[in-house]
Amino acid sequence: MNRYCWYIIVLLVFTSCNDKDRLFENPKASDIGIDFVNTITETDDLNILDYLYFYNGGGVAVGDINNDGLSDIFFSGNQVKNVLYLNKGNLQFENISKDAGVEGISSWNTGAIMVDINNDGFLDIYVCAVVGINGFTGYNELFINNGDNTFTEQSKKYGLDFDTYSSNAAFLDYDQDGDLDMYLLNHAVHTQDSYGHADLRLERNQQTGDKLLRNDNGYFTDVSEEAGIFGGVNSYGLGIAVSDFNKDGWPDIYIGNDFHEDDYFYLNNGDGTFKESLRDYFGHTTRFSMGNDVADINADGWPDLMSLDMLPEDEMALKSSEGDDNIQTQKMRIEQYGYHYQFTRNMLYVNRPNSHFEEVALQANVAATDWSWSSLFADFNNDGNQDLFISNGIPKRPNDLDYIKFLSSNQIQQKINNTRLVDQEALDNMPSGKVHNYIFKGSDNINFRDMSDRWITKDTLASTATALADLDNDGDLDIIANNINQAPTIYINKGSEKQNFLKVKLNYTAKNINGIGSKLYGYSNGKLQYREFYTIRGFQASSEPFIHFGLGESTQLDSLRIEWPDDTYQILYNVKANETQIVSKGNSKPIKPSELETKDVLFRKVDNNLGIDFKHKEDNYTDFIRQKLMPYQASDKGPAVALGDLNNDSKTDLFFGGSKRVKAQIYLQNDSSFVLNEESVLKDLAIKEDVVATIADFNGDQKNDIMVGSGGADFFGKSKVLRDTYLINNDSLFLDRQLPDIFQNSSVIKPSDIDGDGDLDVFIGNHMITSDFGKAPESVVLTNNNGVFSAQTIVAGMVNDAIWDDFDNDGQKDLIIVGEWMTPKFFKNQNGKLKKVDLINDQLNGLWQSIYPFDIDNDGDTDYLLGNWGLNSKFKASKRHPLKMYYADFDDNKQTETIVCIEKEGAYYPIMGLDDLSGQLVFLRKKFNTYRSFAGKSINDIFDKDMLSKAEILEVHTLASGYLRNEAGKFDFVPFEESLQTSPILAFLGADFDGDKQIEVLAAGNYFGVKPYHGRFDGFSGALIKNNKNISLGYTLGLNLHNKSVRHLDLLNAFDKTYLLVTFNNDAAEVYEILK
Amino acid sequence: MKKYPILLLVLMALWSCQEKENIQITSEDFHASVDKVTQVMVHDIFSPPVASRIFAYPNIAAYEIMASQESEFNSLVGQIDDLSAIPKPTDTKQLNFELAALVAHMELSKRLIFSEEMVESFRDSLYKKWNAINSTQFQKSKDYGLEVADFIGQWMNKDNYKETRTMPKFSVYSDDPSRWQPTPPAYMDGIEPHWNQIRPFTLDSAAQFKPAPPPAFSMNKDSEFFKELEEVFIISNEITSKGDSSEEVQIAQFWDCNPYVSITRGHLMFATKKITPGAHWIGITKIACRKSEFDFISTVNAYTKTSIGIFEAFISCWDEKYRSNLIRPETLINKYFDDSWKPILQTPPFPEYTSGHSVVSGCASTVLTSIFGDNYQFDDDTEITYGLPVRSFESFNKAADEAAVSRLYGGIHYRAAIDVGLEQGRQLGQFVVKKLKLEATSK
Repeated sequence: MNRYCWYIIVLLVFTSCNDKDRLFENPKASDIGIDFVNTITETDDLNILDYLYFYNGGGVAVGDINNDGLSDIFFSGNQVKNVLYLNKGNLQFENISKDAGVEGISSWNTGAIMVDINNDGFLDIYVCAVVGINGFTGYNELFINNGDNTFTEQSKKYGLDFDTYSSNAAFLDYDQDGDLDMYLLNHAVHTQDSYGHADLRLERNQQTGDKLLRNDNGYFTDVSEEAGIFGGVNSYGLGIAVSDFNKDGWPDIYIGNDFHEDDYFYLNNGDGTFKESLRDYFGHTTRFSMGNDVADINADGWPDLMSLDMLPEDEMALKSSEGDDNIQTQKMRIEQYGYHYQFTRNMLYVNRPNSHFEEVALQANVAATDWSWSSLFADFNNDGNQDLFISNGIPKRPNDLDYIKFLSSNQIQQKINNTRLVDQEALDNMPSGKVHNYIFKGSDNINFRDMSDRWITKDTLASTATALADLDNDGDLDIIANNINQAPTIYINKGSEKQNFLKVKLNYTAKNINGIGSKLYGYSNGKLQYREFYTIRGFQASSEPFIHFGLGESTQLDSLRIEWPDDTYQILYNVKANETQIVSKGNSKPIKPSELETKDVLFRKVDNNLGIDFKHKEDNYTDFIRQKLMPYQASDKGPAVALGDLNNDSKTDLFFGGSKRVKAQIYLQNDSSFVLNEESVLKDLAIKEDVVATIADFNGDQKNDIMVGSGGADFFGKSKVLRDTYLINNDSLFLDRQLPDIFQNSSVIKPSDIDGDGDLDVFIGNHMITSDFGKAPESVVLTNNNGVFSAQTIVAGMVNDAIWDDFDNDGQKDLIIVGEWMTPKFFKNQNGKLKKVDLINDQLNGLWQSIYPFDIDNDGDTDYLLGNWGLNSKFKASKRHPLKMYYADFDDNKQTETIVCIEKEGAYYPIMGLDDLSGQLVFLRKKFNTYRSFAGKSINDIFDKDMLSKAEILEVHTLASGYLRNEAGKFDFVPFEESLQTSPILAFLGADFDGDKQIEVLAAGNYFGVKPYHGRFDGFSGALIKNNKNISLGYTLGLNLHNKSVRHLDLLNAFDKTYLLVTFNNDAAEVYEILK
Repeated sequence: MKKYPILLLVLMALWSCQEKENIQITSEDFHASVDKVTQVMVHDIFSPPVASRIFAYPNIAAYEIMASQESEFNSLVGQIDDLSAIPKPTDTKQLNFELAALVAHMELSKRLIFSEEMVESFRDSLYKKWNAINSTQFQKSKDYGLEVADFIGQWMNKDNYKETRTMPKFSVYSDDPSRWQPTPPAYMDGIEPHWNQIRPFTLDSAAQFKPAPPPAFSMNKDSEFFKELEEVFIISNEITSKGDSSEEVQIAQFWDCNPYVSITRGHLMFATKKITPGAHWIGITKIACRKSEFDFISTVNAYTKTSIGIFEAFISCWDEKYRSNLIRPETLINKYFDDSWKPILQTPPFPEYTSGHSVVSGCASTVLTSIFGDNYQFDDDTEITYGLPVRSFESFNKAADEAAVSRLYGGIHYRAAIDVGLEQGRQLGQFVVKKLKLEATSK
């Protein structure tokens, strides 16, 4: 081989490496004939100060307007004229705007939609406009396609010539009368100085309120009021998604509202009206909701939803931008102003049919994509999985903290006060928020991999509206992005030879010829791909009207089921790949009323709760008020619950603990019901916060006693109300017997006869020391000598749970302790002496919440299920890069602080920003007197070496819940599947729930004791673990455990049956009947 | 004071045998240093109570240096608990006490604010100038100034300030309808809920001038509280209808003195920042010192006494604020009268009763009256930098009356907080004046 060959080979290797993964290329706009730029001109009269949505960008709509088989592109301009480009083939475009008559007359254009409104076979164009503020004139324009590359504006004729603050519109047949109606999305310009009550949405405002318009034979009638659509002065509508979310055959609508206004989830009642149902289905939403998109991302045939927000991934932008709500402000907005939980990050909601939407953006790796406008799910690499594109960027970051606090005052104060003008110099002080767009590769799981620097080129843009199309008819999806002050970006998908595709176009009925609202189920190799056909997606845009399937290496769809909007369906078999299939409505059959693929329902809530009327109310104490840097609360561990016979009638009675200054309660079981026993004087427990309890006969008098662990993380020092309680049963009167001095916040009480002397000894685990979070408290083993206990302390860590189980099969029950910032600890029982043994093959510090023995892999030995924090969290932990918590009295004021740090690209950053940190450590404000000087700094840059060196560093290696697999007495950790990682798992319970004579374990959790930084862990509906491969989520089994925080699961034997008792924090206990 | 020029002459005669000329420090230099601190405080955004501390300690350091060698003035030692005598200079030869006092003022100020470089650049240009004139004198005086700054700094650090930083935030979780709640638009947490634990200079406790409680909370139309609430609403609407040029709006804005007014327009947020009420009265002190042509030490004395008064006023006032924890009119008016009502001034982030402006103005005006006399006419141009006009007053007391009532016009206080607050401040002022015997003649 000669030298030149080598050169060529080297060159080839080099170039192919470079571009190996590059899925998209960006032809220069001018090279393909696109000369449009959405130029935004800031003037003294019009800028971000005068108009809050100055940087939201224009719109884009794509479709074949002349039916030549090539998709054409329409861009709306904010201040510039709209343009229409005819696709001439070979990726060449011709600007025909002027002749076409679509340039428009409005001063400020926004969303653009292509729709064949008159069903003449030619796509028409609807362009939204903001009119009536800032001197903006014009109206929403409807360009009717004349069929000869010219258009006639006819909005007035159709009744769609609105002069309001429109951002977008969507076409859907909400009343199922066969024609397309329209939802008009308007945005508010309310001053935002105060929230105002959420009820503001009930009062209609013509300019800012959304509108629902019914198509009455070609004229659109405003039916908003009668249809139950909110139209308030508060509705900052930026996102709209249409989908039959509950698959009842009627399209529903999700509206994303910016700022404090809640998003709206309109479920279609099927009678021309909607019911706004956000709170019934969503535990929390995005706060600054922007664009959104619907797709089935987990291949279960149900539409899932993503809503965008503006959380930066980059530390520099993150720490110099206004961040999450203050927790007290949030609480006030919710409790006093009537708004729902909202957090500043993207949200990905997985549809849990007939139950709720489970939010998993953090776990799925799509929560932080900065100032995000448009999300589009599509199978970009044709591998059969939904990928995700997110457009992103803003010319100026108006929420830059230095700008807000320091620069703005100097620069604009005078101008604002005196003239309300801002000059360019002032605006120049706002940092640029131009960032790269994001693209993620989907997988078989709900997990997305960031491919932004591989599939596309990382650019620096402010991209807003985006649309999907196949511009070059090669079967893979291209992306068109309308940018601010730069030419649009056209992402041409180069695809891959090996990956197959299918495009489907529909030919439905005369009043909806493109079949908007149809549902398509494509099956190949047993895998389902579900599509619902709406073209209005992302943000201020409509995509090319066809349905796309990526088929990977399959050469066909084995079957394609099309459900038409009229509730009929037809099925095509063996649909060949790599073609555009045009499906006309043929001999379709009526769809039978939705048959849910219900698993066997195992649980049913008991109507009268068996008379148990216990409702736990957590007290108002908030840990973050006192220990501002605590990573999560410690005051909400309760309530305690314990089961046992308390009145010597051989029936199971119930003890429930109260929160601080709330009395504990005893429910006695009589012949038909549980009855609150008012006489049971538990005065000692009136002030204490009872977080854990157990009922057993400790003093050997054949009557059950009660032991109660106190906590609450509020009382401190040797406060007597922190002392755990031991009540002996004296003919159903309970007498207080003092336990040894233990003044810490308890978390678990587990009795067991350790020394084999026939009485019950006790392990009491303690979680934390009040006002000294991070320091390991002492836990104790109480040895029972004829009902008198002596204590021996164990410093095990921040303990949450423990079990007695004979892990070494020597006939003596051993102790396993789990807790936070620690590894599960095994203590071997050697004739009453506990000896710590090392049985885990790995570093396994976690935020362990719960442990339960269970042979999950059916191999005959006992494994241990472990509940952890879960993976749906901003916390990050691995063995290589553990989550770290620095614990020290950093400022030498006799008060310790904890600083939690997560790793990003090799360095550790505090999760909190400068304001939060300096609120506790004032010297940081002196060290960093701008936010920019603090942003991007790692913990080692923020604190001096000697200050850090005095800190104890606590670590977590995994946040995943999972199990310790027993391998001949040693243990390996195996994480659970992703559906069990969405929330902390706080409770397990084993029993034969499904009547198969095998034990299954029920797991439950959710947790709310975190700051808005974390949001709320509210979506886990519980799960039944039959074995490591067979796990069913609670919502499919009849359990309703989402949006509540479970503390205990217990089997309750009563009235000759076994029930499931679920005890929640800050909610009413619930009893479920076990149906098998 | 009359003796001072003679002393100066004697000193000058002594120094004239030196080769290098003497560094001249005038009261204007001290004004400039105080102005610089005020300016940095506005930039760094300090809350009014914290600002009062930043004014007081540097003034005391400067004062102690001056008083230590001037028989006309008494040291604060013995008058303020746990303040001990500053170190004596080892050698007074070539020691310029004014310079040392100014250095101590700048140094302590620098430690108290955040943006040190702003003070440093101001300081360094002076250092350079002084060094060129007489480097020996400069070095020696600077060293002494820094030594005293260190000494006062150590005493200052024991005032519980650091400890109060990590005390619990004010909890808004309560079912009590009268309890203060954060107010629009920023809904900030209540600031300095533990300021009553800061060590006072003269008071035996923060509660020494504990005012009568506010009218009992009641939304009953006949109750005193309700009537006062209604009054805020009615007056505000009257003023608003009169327009921005009305006397009441002018008064409200002139005395706004809010260090951080948050403004939100969509995603865009910014702040307009002004001096604190304490800084406004410090500004008035400057005006009076200039008008009366006070010399250096008298100027330092006036600042010191006034800033101590202001400091005590905040402790006293904040003690009551977080005792009564009273809800602001804005919250109630939005809830019961008009949900779109906004006060003319932005409601500051702490409980309503008593009015900080009233207590501070009552106290500061009393102290200033004791120094400059009653019926002391002055033209107040303090707020010109913030785009507000000059206002003229016949006396400090009249100015205080106006500052107090401005809060009612501004829609952020009920009348009781103003009337009672002003009285609280005046009594406190009398107490401070009586307790602090700074001028030797008042011994």
